[in-house]
Amino acid sequence: MARVEFKNIVKVYEDEKRGSFTAVKGSSFVIEDREFVVFVGPSGCGKTTSLRMIAGLERQTSGDIRIGERVVNDLHPKDRDIAMVFQDYALYPHMTIAENLSFGLRNLKRPKDEIERKVKEASSILGLGDMLSRKPRELSGGQRQRVAVGRAIVRDPQVFLFDEPLSNLDAKLRIQMRVELAELHKRLGATIVYVTHDQVEAMTLGERIVVMNEGEIQQIASPTELYNKPNNMFVAGFIGSPAMNFIDARIGGGQALLAGGTAFPLPEAAARALGAYEGKPIVLGVRPEHIYGEAMAPDRAGSAKLEAHVQVVEQLGAESLVYFRVGERMVTARVHPELPVALGARQTFVLDAAKLHWFDPQTEQRIVF
Amino acid sequence: MTSKSKIALIAVALAVLIVWAFVTVIPLYWMFIGSFQDSAASAVFKPQMIPEIWSIAPYERFFHKAAAVRWIVNSVIVASVVTVTNVFFASLAGYAFAKLKFPGSKTIFWALLTTMMIPAQVTLIPLYILMINIFQLGDTYTAIVLPAVVSVGNVFLMKQYMSTLPTSLIHAARIDACSEFGIYRKVILPMAKPGLAVLAIFTFVAQWNEFFWPLLVTKSSEMRTIQVGLASFVFAESTDYGAIMAGASVGALPMVILFFSLQRYFLQGITVGAVKG
Amino acid sequence: MRSTTSHAAGSGAARFRQFLRNYGWAYAFIAVPVLLFLVFTLYPVGWAFVISFQKYGILKSTWVGFDNYTYMFKDDVFWKSMRNTVIFTIGTVPVNILISFGLAFLIFQLKQRAQTFFKAVLYLPTVASGVTLSIVWIAIFDPTPSGMLNRLLIQLGLDPVIWLGQKSTALFSLMLMSWLGSHGSGIILYLAAMGGIPKSLYEAADIDHASGWKKFSRITWPLLKPTTLYLLVTGVITSFQVFISVYLMTQGGPDFATTTIAYLIYQTAFNFNQFGLASAQAFVLAAVIVIVSVLQFKFFSTDIEY
Repeated sequence: MARVEFKNIVKVYEDEKRGSFTAVKGSSFVIEDREFVVFVGPSGCGKTTSLRMIAGLERQTSGDIRIGERVVNDLHPKDRDIAMVFQDYALYPHMTIAENLSFGLRNLKRPKDEIERKVKEASSILGLGDMLSRKPRELSGGQRQRVAVGRAIVRDPQVFLFDEPLSNLDAKLRIQMRVELAELHKRLGATIVYVTHDQVEAMTLGERIVVMNEGEIQQIASPTELYNKPNNMFVAGFIGSPAMNFIDARIGGGQALLAGGTAFPLPEAAARALGAYEGKPIVLGVRPEHIYGEAMAPDRAGSAKLEAHVQVVEQLGAESLVYFRVGERMVTARVHPELPVALGARQTFVLDAAKLHWFDPQTEQRIVF
Repeated sequence: MTSKSKIALIAVALAVLIVWAFVTVIPLYWMFIGSFQDSAASAVFKPQMIPEIWSIAPYERFFHKAAAVRWIVNSVIVASVVTVTNVFFASLAGYAFAKLKFPGSKTIFWALLTTMMIPAQVTLIPLYILMINIFQLGDTYTAIVLPAVVSVGNVFLMKQYMSTLPTSLIHAARIDACSEFGIYRKVILPMAKPGLAVLAIFTFVAQWNEFFWPLLVTKSSEMRTIQVGLASFVFAESTDYGAIMAGASVGALPMVILFFSLQRYFLQGITVGAVKG
Repeated sequence: MRSTTSHAAGSGAARFRQFLRNYGWAYAFIAVPVLLFLVFTLYPVGWAFVISFQKYGILKSTWVGFDNYTYMFKDDVFWKSMRNTVIFTIGTVPVNILISFGLAFLIFQLKQRAQTFFKAVLYLPTVASGVTLSIVWIAIFDPTPSGMLNRLLIQLGLDPVIWLGQKSTALFSLMLMSWLGSHGSGIILYLAAMGGIPKSLYEAADIDHASGWKKFSRITWPLLKPTTLYLLVTGVITSFQVFISVYLMTQGGPDFATTTIAYLIYQTAFNFNQFGLASAQAFVLAAVIVIVSVLQFKFFSTDIEY
């Protein structure tokens, strides 16, 4: 197995009509051997382009890519020792499943018995045994997905590349395949690079997550770190569902003055760190799950309280989502389902003081303390 | 629309279409029915709509007076070769233009395409000089076939068709260590079969019916295609309507049979890559 | 380990090898069509241009400057053939488009099976060759009173006509043959386009109480404009080159009444062996086709997307 390294990778597309477009703006990172790394971001953020450059399907405009110890910049995909699973599975429609699985090995002119053994192995891992003589169109979506993974396993590559492999499955199957992929990673002990636009998929699968936006890497971190310490407002808003609330605020005399008139005293550490913002605008970030109804707030929550008119309540059974306005912004609170809330009523909410995030409104970076 | 006026519309539509279909088909019907009536005695073509006596004498005269078998063989050879070369080269180039990235691809493609507007008459004279006087290829299959090996129109059609195939399969094959020609042969060709079938049928019919170029480059009766041969027969035997109709039937029948057996391809085929290009 | 970034590309030879490896296959794939295009289209076009300024001989050609062009523009037959070609084109292309559209519209009202039947029947003449159709129509236009079309006229109480044999009716006869000929391709293209118009547009029009005519003029016809444009451009190009029927049925006569520009070029080149003059005529034909095509695109092109 192997590590994958990007060094100052830039990818520029030249288009005669629209001019040039920079899909990846100088990204550098290292994916460790046997690591499961997920690239996540909105569409057009450069994540798929990055994956294709690892595969060798696209060539970077500048920079170096290493797989293992080798610089692979000018290597053909077949020489990079990688395998890829595509979003639409890309199974050859005119070949049987067995032929699909063995196509790569046959092209590499491997001995027959080795091909047979590997196809058998992969099909037993994925439970494809009785489908080998069928054509892809006779298979269900989930089965095709397995064949696509099987085709990668058969190659026994140093690095597995997954391009949104679950996005064509229905919700139930997606969760099941997610579990299977995680197990597969443990079993194969392979380096996996996985691209998705779904942050839940990223959080559940990735050992580390690369968050990208507009061609730039926003943060590389473990799921918990991304959740607890997002680098900036983009990551903070992208990771977690419902998304983090952002509230316009000002710092004054050790107090946070929120848009709409509420104020609460800052904890000591925060007051010290935010001293530089005295009198200046600042953005307060708080996740919906860190807002409580006053009646049910845990003791540690502290004294960050605010009052607001409840505008919408969504009962989800295990929890309720309560929407109210603070200043110009709509704020979501994820509260206990038994919290008594009345539409239109003025209600007091408590923000968990230990879980507040502060952002500079100009740079959108998190203020670290 | 109310159902009453809808029914009226359908009735009108059926009436008009039946009349027009009759007008469209009747000349070919006359040709066919006339070819089985011995009208040698009369210099006027006056077939009975439903003949009382069927006769194959016109066919006997046609095959006797003309080298018709040879013409048919020539047409089959020429049309087959042209069909094979067009399917192969047009699909290969169409694939490259649709799916492969290379410098100049758009420029070359547009250069090819814009010249489709140039009428054949412009290139005909130099082509004729080139083939007949310089290459000395007059009266050969090569002369008939060479300029028709692959048409720009077919490359365009194939480009349109190939661009509808999923690119991810090409990427998968590349990762599966398939050579670039291997991708074309093992992945693209099998997937493109319906498109290739349409291309093959249309090319074959067009080449079978081709008249002008074979007329120019063939001199001897033995090298004529069926269309050129028929034309010469009409000039030589202008009074024998029966034999002429027999010849015309012989020239058209293979295509009519092909049409009815592969109707599906004909009726959907021409919409490939036409307007929405 | 040697690092080969794109900045630090090696020698010219290495770069060329890299280029070949990346793009060699693609160029190989398009090689044959491009080569044929160069040899059988581009080169002949250039050569034809040269010949049009020469008196061409197999052994020796002499430069004559613009003589071919000036002779052509003073030649009555050239102008007659231009006039004939334009009349034939204007008389057939729009009419045939209307016929195709009308037939397609009527077929569209029917059930699937009936649609297939009429499509097949109306397409049939398209697979017959120009030679075959010309032969049949020679018989139909037989000038004697017992000719097929004349018998029909006599039954209707009219006098028989010497269809192809007199100046006043010869060109009209060729146009008549075109009208009653094949509309297969046009019908199928129109039907495909009609099938592609979203039903919701008509439903929205129904809600707005739009009349049948309004729906036709505001939805159907405008959305079929790309198809109409395609048929117009290709139809005009084909019609400007009409040859087989003239060659077989009238040989351009009587008294050049049916000599089209394509037939004139054929005669000039291959009956009179005047390759220079024929090339000049061909270039004028090409220029007319290009200009007319561009004008059509300018006046009729649309940006409709649906």
